[in-house]
Amino acid sequence: MPLRFNMMHFMPYVHLPENHKDFKTTWVTFPNKFYDPEKGYELYQRYFEQLVLADRLGFDAIVLNEHHNTVYSMMATPNVVAAALIPQTRTARICVWGVPPNFMLPNRLAEEYAILDVMSKGRLEIAFPLGTGMEYWSNPVSPVTARERFRESLKIMLQAWTADGPTTHYGKFYTYRFLNPWPRPYQKPHPPCYIVGSGSPETIDIAAELGFGYSCVFVPQKIAQELNQKLRDRAAHYGHTIRPDQLPLLNFVYVAETQEQAEHEFIDHLQRFFEDYARSTPQWLAPPGYLSVEQLKIRSAGADKMHGGFDFKAISESFFIAVGTPEKVANQIGEWTARMGTNHINSVLHVADMPHWKAVKNISLFAEEVIPRLRRSGGAQ
Amino acid sequence: MSKFTREELTVDGIKTVVHTAGKGEPLVLFHGGGTVDGFEFAEPWADKFRVIVPYHPGFGESGDDPTFTDIHDYVMYYLEFFDAMKIDAMSVVGMSMGGYLATKLAVEHGNRINKLVLIAPYGLDIPEHRTADIIAIPGEQVVPMLVSNFDTLKKDLPERPDADFIGARYREATTFARLFWEHPTDSKFPRYLHRVKMPTLIVWGEDDKLIPVQHAQTWRKLIPNSEVVVIKGGGHIVQRDKPEVIEVIGRFLSGSR
Repeated sequence: MPLRFNMMHFMPYVHLPENHKDFKTTWVTFPNKFYDPEKGYELYQRYFEQLVLADRLGFDAIVLNEHHNTVYSMMATPNVVAAALIPQTRTARICVWGVPPNFMLPNRLAEEYAILDVMSKGRLEIAFPLGTGMEYWSNPVSPVTARERFRESLKIMLQAWTADGPTTHYGKFYTYRFLNPWPRPYQKPHPPCYIVGSGSPETIDIAAELGFGYSCVFVPQKIAQELNQKLRDRAAHYGHTIRPDQLPLLNFVYVAETQEQAEHEFIDHLQRFFEDYARSTPQWLAPPGYLSVEQLKIRSAGADKMHGGFDFKAISESFFIAVGTPEKVANQIGEWTARMGTNHINSVLHVADMPHWKAVKNISLFAEEVIPRLRRSGGAQ
Repeated sequence: MSKFTREELTVDGIKTVVHTAGKGEPLVLFHGGGTVDGFEFAEPWADKFRVIVPYHPGFGESGDDPTFTDIHDYVMYYLEFFDAMKIDAMSVVGMSMGGYLATKLAVEHGNRINKLVLIAPYGLDIPEHRTADIIAIPGEQVVPMLVSNFDTLKKDLPERPDADFIGARYREATTFARLFWEHPTDSKFPRYLHRVKMPTLIVWGEDDKLIPVQHAQTWRKLIPNSEVVVIKGGGHIVQRDKPEVIEVIGRFLSGSR
């Protein structure tokens, strides 16, 4: 199976105030008076250019996602961003990975995705996140019943896409007397679907049952490998076979002429990504009921490397981070794909306050020097 | 040596742990939205009453029922609990969230309640004197807000909370959020408070940092046969700061009516 390369973007708001370290977190309560729409406009221009460049240079897909009340992402409603990118891109698949269904009426989300799929002539791919703990502090939806509501939303959306309407749905959270959304998705039976999560067994089981792909994000390499296997096992239990392309591998990459130059140009931005842009609190990460008590105890006992605190060597070994020459990065990615049993590379090529020129350089070198190397070698088999 | 005897029973399919002490007219104590404080303070009432202190489902040593989504589920549960405990008529003391529960019970089954004591009850939304949103405040900040003088509570808390302690608090916060995340208060609740007809004592710590003492007068206006006692120097868990309040409540409960 050929390798597939995505470029994922978080679209951070990079103009943090000088005193931002005074704030324990850049999520949920970080004051929105620090958001300057004129600067936001400039950032959108740059980020769109970067994603369009990825399309022009032959990336297979561009990836967007949703976060609220934070500098981490300027995509509170990623479908709006996706709609703007569709006419600007030609061949790249548009991945909205994704909107947490719990914060939308399910018919409306099914409709938005169908519109994007039709507008893009079937280029849409979808991931369903439960939403981080932070999103539950920012939206009027209880984290306690989040998983139950999530299941029901998924059922409604799949029904909306696959059953001829009008149909009905009488559930715990939603009642539809006439579920009959226009338009219907371009791809049949519906766009490719994934679940994204941080490894909760409950979430993996949903992907397994529905035969969806699964992407674990911000979990250490060793655990990610176990989770991929767990998904394969659980999916088999439900009669599904998970293909390698259903296991997108989230990674951070920076390519430059030499190892020294790559590290010199990149590490500060990566550090700020972890320390500043992903700076959260235990309370934000785990609102009551969001995790089972067992999961909460496990997570509170383990150090959370993702949210605050930085040690480049430790982080590079723990997460999927490749920094260096094209050859080194290609080898690293090839090794990951073999080990993780995937052919689906989902690379973040712009992080934190990385200036436009570095992002353009990184995207270009990745497209012209890394992707061809990996395609020639065929990647993991 | 505690006067209380621990009993374990199954009520409506839920493991229930109840502590009881004394003989006589049943006096049921409903704890609030967390159980860090314990209930040893209720011992003096056992001289005159059969004091019954259950852990609500989802709290302390009792089991969980994730189908409980609002306070009325607890009213239904307690009807079964009273059957199991052979309690017909009783007096009720409710603290904070337990005060809300006690009041709901009194609205719906007032004929079974002789006297009602509400200690800083939860349940009213008064925009000028808003209840602190304990769901939004980090746990380590909520705990000192429970009392006026933190030293009175600190001595009974772990210095370095371990995973079990943190897990237990998270579980109780989950139960609380199940009831109150989306709807912290029920706007129809005050509509029916006139049905609380039994003698009612409303007790409030003047320095309550969670539910402002100004709430006391609104409760008094809404509950016909009620009186207010404000405790100087008392916080939300008023008996922690001012143990003498236990005697004040005891006198109200055992006084002629």
